[in-house]
Amino acid sequence: MKLKNLGLLVLGIGLTFLYFFVNPSNVDFFPKCPLYATTGIYCPGCGSQRATHQLLQLNFIGVLQQNILFFFGLFILGYHIAVQSLNLVLKKNIYNYLYHPKTPIIILVIIIVYWILRNIPYFPFNILAPN
Amino acid sequence: MDQNQPKNYLVESILVTVFCCLPFGIAGIVFASQVNSKFSLGDYEGALQASKDAKKWMNWGLISGVIVIVLYFLFVALTIGSLAFLGGDF
Repeated sequence: MKLKNLGLLVLGIGLTFLYFFVNPSNVDFFPKCPLYATTGIYCPGCGSQRATHQLLQLNFIGVLQQNILFFFGLFILGYHIAVQSLNLVLKKNIYNYLYHPKTPIIILVIIIVYWILRNIPYFPFNILAPN
Repeated sequence: MDQNQPKNYLVESILVTVFCCLPFGIAGIVFASQVNSKFSLGDYEGALQASKDAKKWMNWGLISGVIVIVLYFLFVALTIGSLAFLGGDF
């Protein structure tokens, strides 16, 4: 178990350095999205590698240009960690909306609507596509 | 009904969806939704089962993502390395 964690840590640090120094837009040895490579359709995760590079370079507008859901994912992660740690450390009992029956359905709808919209090749929808 | 709600893996599933492996992440979100809805209806056993399914899909997404990325960069490194070794032009 410890070896696995160490491996993941090394892998994480390695990938952080890789995505910090190399812009996936400029080189072509990064893995392509299999859906985009085969069909030409953007998936909801397309642009995440380029967004990771922009985030590590602290270019937040660049992140938004690649993938708006990237911030959405980070926001959900931050909310979850904040609520859980407040409840644990300060012994509070804040309700975590991620456990509300409707939340996963709303999130699923957001992802699917985003998926459809970013594939419409006309303004203003095409700003949702990665570039 | 004083049992705690099983972990729904919603956050993990969203991250898997956005950062690598869409189909696994979507399956994870669907099971996360079942955890929440079944628990709110008092079906603890069903919620627990959905929680296990959500975890399974989330794990597969994570594992396949890591394996694909590692294999990919290994392949690229080997290609570049062998081309350099052979004195090829790349």
